[in-house]
Amino acid sequence: MTKPLNVEHDSPSIAGHGATKSYAMQESMIVKWSLIAISLVFLALFLILPLVSIFVTALEKGWATYVASITDPDALAAIKLTLTVVLIVVPLNAIFGIVAAWAITKFSFKGKNVLITLIDLPFAVSPVIAGLVFILLFGAQGLFGEWLFQNDIKIVFALPGIVIATMFVTFPFVARELIPLMQMQGITEEEASISLGASGWKTFFLVTLPNIKWGLLYGLILCNARTIGEFGAVSVVSGHIRGMTNTMPLHIEILYNEYQFTAAFAVASLMSILAIITIIIKNFIEWKAKDE
Amino acid sequence: MSIQIQNVSRAFGTFQALKDISIDIESGELIALLGPSGSGKTTLLRILAGLEGLDEGAILFDGQNITNVSPKERGVGFVFQHYALFRHMTVFDNVAYGLKVRPRKTRPSKDEINKKVRDLLALVKLDNFADRYPAQLSGGQRQRVALARALAVEPKVLLLDEPFGALDAKVRKELRRWLRKLHNEFHVTSIFVTHDQEEALDVANRIIVMNNGKIEQVGTPEEVYEHPNSPFVYDFLGNVNLFRGRLHKGKLTQGQFEIDVPTYLDSHYEVVGYVRPHDIQIEKNQLNNESVAAKIVHIHMVGPVVQIELKREDVDEYLEAEIPKEHYKKLGIKNGDTVFIKPKQLKVFVPEDFSI
Repeated sequence: MTKPLNVEHDSPSIAGHGATKSYAMQESMIVKWSLIAISLVFLALFLILPLVSIFVTALEKGWATYVASITDPDALAAIKLTLTVVLIVVPLNAIFGIVAAWAITKFSFKGKNVLITLIDLPFAVSPVIAGLVFILLFGAQGLFGEWLFQNDIKIVFALPGIVIATMFVTFPFVARELIPLMQMQGITEEEASISLGASGWKTFFLVTLPNIKWGLLYGLILCNARTIGEFGAVSVVSGHIRGMTNTMPLHIEILYNEYQFTAAFAVASLMSILAIITIIIKNFIEWKAKDE
Repeated sequence: MSIQIQNVSRAFGTFQALKDISIDIESGELIALLGPSGSGKTTLLRILAGLEGLDEGAILFDGQNITNVSPKERGVGFVFQHYALFRHMTVFDNVAYGLKVRPRKTRPSKDEINKKVRDLLALVKLDNFADRYPAQLSGGQRQRVALARALAVEPKVLLLDEPFGALDAKVRKELRRWLRKLHNEFHVTSIFVTHDQEEALDVANRIIVMNNGKIEQVGTPEEVYEHPNSPFVYDFLGNVNLFRGRLHKGKLTQGQFEIDVPTYLDSHYEVVGYVRPHDIQIEKNQLNNESVAAKIVHIHMVGPVVQIELKREDVDEYLEAEIPKEHYKKLGIKNGDTVFIKPKQLKVFVPEDFSI
């Protein structure tokens, strides 16, 4: 007698449970697809369409014009300057970023929170203001202007100014990426290394660096992308001297203002290609880091 | 190598982690630093390894003051609580690390390193795991890699921070036995930190009991277990029953109840007698006023020893007794019965040194 009673008691609850579940799923499917659709439309309108139009406009007047505009001496000078800035800024920011993250995560000291806040400062300050600060410091009328002039050191309207302004703007990328990572990893592996007789340098290169390599690379990629694309801060300190202090974004702006749309878009397409490569590397790194 | 710890103190901000600690450790000893969390045992271990500084005092290795020697130069093998294996290196590279990072002059050849690492991996029974990464190992295996890595540099002192803390009971017991065996083979002076009294009693030749940054007692496992010198040690090393009462002319009295404690002839108004559960005798009938009536609340009967929880009838206090199963069967007692209990051995502490 008990057996059939049990079945009767059990089955409706299962059915009821199943029904609620599928109903919930149905609703979430609608939400899911509408969210995906909205994202896709948004992406197409605001990202893909502009990107395609860059390449379309760049190649509007044929391949020959395209090649001519990117091999123009001023364009080449801009590309060279941009790459030079990248080669200086990215390694320096790698070092400073590691040093700052190391100091913050492996030691405890007074004013640590102030340092963390300062690292975020470039994110909060407009790049144009950052550029102006350096003009105020190193410009002819600036704080150190006279001294620099007397010693014949050029900072603003020259490569050093562009490098300094770019470094300021891109500083947080590496440090911000490393701090949470190193905080999570703690210091016991380093302690183990030291107690096994390794020097500080060996500990850094054999233990710390391999542990943070993916985070570091990720930070560097972001730093690199921003260095190539930085406009505001560089615009203020560069002085826009053609073939001398024009980086790629500045060169594009000048061409555009001179109604040389094809040439402007040709250089822009080069920058877009760099951006796409950056994104691919970034994704590769993320995938690789996850894998480990 | 012998170790002298001389008047070591260490504070973290306002928290005094160690207060004037002095211990002499002889070469080849296997020492347990036992204490509750916050007692300063891990701080002391880290100071010995040089991973933590000290405010006052000195550390001597073989009579040589090494207080200001860097951890890199101390020749100490440290096994971390959570192993701290290098996560991006294989088991082999982890064990080889201490040899590989030596300056070229003292570094063994590649073949020598290979041989040494293979030997160590065989010793910790991980021969087949050389190419695995730490993430692919179980807790017990990681622990053994950490030990092999520490032993690879042939340390003069082996320091282990809660070596079995994060392992499950069975693996823990196995590793305990294994550590003792290892110590018998290598005779390297070893100190391990633990909060588990059973572990300390089981493994160490000598136990240092710590509490609140101070040493409570130092002695062999038998000494500290059988003759605790303070209520704290009594309580920390095993279960204990308390008999509060008045001490007068060698007798502890509490209401009707009266026990002879011939070693204490002075009088105190309020004292506490400590009795281990296995020192409590259970009888069905009252013999004299040295025994007290209690009701059986719970009987736990797994293994050769029967644990009996009792509630005293004269005062509102619970007691725990342990009797052999045979004796339990002879008594024929069950839950709810009233029996008479009598402490066979009782240690009295007067309130001055009463700290728990």
